[in-house]
Amino acid sequence: MIPVELYIGLAVIIFTIGLYGFMTQRSGIRMLMSVELMLNSANLNLVAFSSYNADLTGQVFALYSIALAACEAAIGFAILMAIFRMKDTINLDSFNVLRW
Amino acid sequence: MAIGDFAFLIPLLPALAFVLTFFLGKKLPNGGAIIPIAAIATSFVISLLITLNLLQNPEEVITQSYSWFALFNVGVLVDPLAAVMLTMVTFVSLLIHIYSVGYMSHDAAPSRYFAETALFTASMLSLILSDNILQLFVSWELVGLCSYLLIGFWYQKPSAATAAKKAFLTTRIGDVMFLAGIVLLFADLFTIFNGTIPAGTYILRFDEIFAHIPEIAAINANIFGMEVSHITIITLLFFGGAVGKSGQFPLHVWLPDAMEGPTTVSALIHAATMVTAGVYLVARTFPMFIAAPDSLLVVAYLGAFTAIFAATMGIVMNDLKRVLAYSTISQLGYMMLGLGVGAAIGAEAVGVSLFHLINHAFFKALLFLCAGSVIHAVGTHDMRQLGGVAKVMPITALTMIIAAFSLAGFGIPGTSIGFSGFMSKDPIIESAYLFAESSGMWLPYLFSIVAALLTSLYIFRLIFMTFFGKPRTDYGGHESPASMTIPLSILALFALVFGALTRTSFYHFLEETFTNNFVNMDIPALAEMGGYHLASHAGHEPLLILWMPLIVAVAGLLIAYLVYGLKIVNMDNLVSRNNPVYKLLYNRYYQNEIFTDFFSVKVIYEGFAFASRSVERGFDWLVNWISDITIETGESVRQFQTGVIQTYATTVVAGVGLLIILIRVIMEVI
Repeated sequence: MIPVELYIGLAVIIFTIGLYGFMTQRSGIRMLMSVELMLNSANLNLVAFSSYNADLTGQVFALYSIALAACEAAIGFAILMAIFRMKDTINLDSFNVLRW
Repeated sequence: MAIGDFAFLIPLLPALAFVLTFFLGKKLPNGGAIIPIAAIATSFVISLLITLNLLQNPEEVITQSYSWFALFNVGVLVDPLAAVMLTMVTFVSLLIHIYSVGYMSHDAAPSRYFAETALFTASMLSLILSDNILQLFVSWELVGLCSYLLIGFWYQKPSAATAAKKAFLTTRIGDVMFLAGIVLLFADLFTIFNGTIPAGTYILRFDEIFAHIPEIAAINANIFGMEVSHITIITLLFFGGAVGKSGQFPLHVWLPDAMEGPTTVSALIHAATMVTAGVYLVARTFPMFIAAPDSLLVVAYLGAFTAIFAATMGIVMNDLKRVLAYSTISQLGYMMLGLGVGAAIGAEAVGVSLFHLINHAFFKALLFLCAGSVIHAVGTHDMRQLGGVAKVMPITALTMIIAAFSLAGFGIPGTSIGFSGFMSKDPIIESAYLFAESSGMWLPYLFSIVAALLTSLYIFRLIFMTFFGKPRTDYGGHESPASMTIPLSILALFALVFGALTRTSFYHFLEETFTNNFVNMDIPALAEMGGYHLASHAGHEPLLILWMPLIVAVAGLLIAYLVYGLKIVNMDNLVSRNNPVYKLLYNRYYQNEIFTDFFSVKVIYEGFAFASRSVERGFDWLVNWISDITIETGESVRQFQTGVIQTYATTVVAGVGLLIILIRVIMEVI
């Protein structure tokens, strides 16, 4: 039985990597990938606590979250496709037309 | 079925005629004049039959009530007072409608005219028939509306539109007071009943109101440190309404301007409907007035003052119809005076006043219709351009002279020989004398005598300037058609003999107004309550007092004959801009300047304009301040929106971190 602290430690590491990526990267696809990393670290937490507490609710939650992440990724990539068609780049810094 | 059961048809038929004429009139000849004429003729027959029935047994008045809503009812009350009014209104209105067929034949919209006059008559009849004060008020307002529509009948003329507006707004001042009186009366009655009113009791019905006069009189209000009985306030407010409707000073300003409508409308307003409503209201609520301290004195003084005030202006007017308009105001003053002297003669005052109202209706309708006949024929109403019209229009001239004699009050005192106007005006002046004798207040009597002199003077001035002498301009003209001269002749007959024929029976009849199966008032006891001392009288007047009205009437005629008939005085010297008296009168005491230009425009309009400008500025400042603050805040806050997603993410993380620290701190503290 692997103690739950290790799972949490792994999740923290993955989350931090995701957060770092999100805050430093300029490419839309990389940012989306970072978001996926953060989401999955949260899923890992859910599953770890679920197994620790012998309660399946957390795992069901994780499944939900994965489905949501898939949807989000689909919409996100669609938006990026549209952006690329318009500006020939997916560098999000160049996308601030709604800014005052 | 008794004829009394059809009383409700009297106002209903003209109302129906209004609807029919309004929608079908255009397709019928003469604008569908036949519909209102038939309806009003039927109403007249019913009224006459009811009156004749009532003459047999005056105590058995007709009364029917139906629940309307809550504590109010609609109902019919035909007592002697209402009966004579109904008969007079339907009769005069009928003649005016017949006359209008000829008069309005050249007009573009006769169907609208006939529809509106039918509604006008219907409202007035409903006002007379009301057995409760609320229904009376509703009809009262309807009469006001119709007068507005009819005075502004030729609405394309700006002067007519202005006159209509003026009439509506001026009478509105009175109407508001009347309404306030009703509200106060209702509140008082509600208090008297302690809020529990038995089913089937309609507290605004006249019998209920009159039955509770002592209780209302017992309620006092404190106004500027003076103890005033509620009954005084209520009656004065009612009288305020009457002042507006009946053109008493200072709300008389609309009446002369009401001449802008067709002359027949002037006849209808001045004789049969509208202006008599105010007198009728005071007569109808007379038991309240006599129980109210000082209210009748106000009525008497204001009436007498209006009589003389309007008569002085009648002398200098050059417009045929305007002279008659001021004459109406003056005669209405007499009627009010007749009611006011009830302080000395008790319930008889109602008979005295109403008799003059009826006779005045006949001769004033006649005067206006004659004037209309002249105007219709020669196309001008400036007397300075007329003269010698009697040769061209003998019937009109003869009937108008009869009306003039009636208005001036020619007759032999102590006998029943005299024109109608004499038969009714003389008792008013005599009553004023009695009033003066018993109370020591001589002003109303003096006013009424001087006004009688002026009345005679202005009306014969009109006659001499219009009908005699040489034509001043080439106006042509011809006698009017039979549909116009026949009503004139009928009215002339009434102006001639009605007063003499009905004098005694009329007073006797009206005495039963407040003692019958509907109400039974003890007028002397009420007078006691109001602090009036009724005079015991009849025939005590000195000979000079009896003959005085005739003497001044003859004097007026003589002066008019000498000045305007024989021209012994050159009027051009007197009538000039340099004569201050003439200037004052001709400019109508500068009422227009005082009331309209100064009071209405300067004080009220400018005042409101200033107030609204200030308020507007205040609001503007507030609104501008809010928008300025919002813009400034937005300017500074929008700096945060960099448009760089990474910055946003950093802020979110920093925020979450801060939150965690905060939660930690709070947990520690707790």
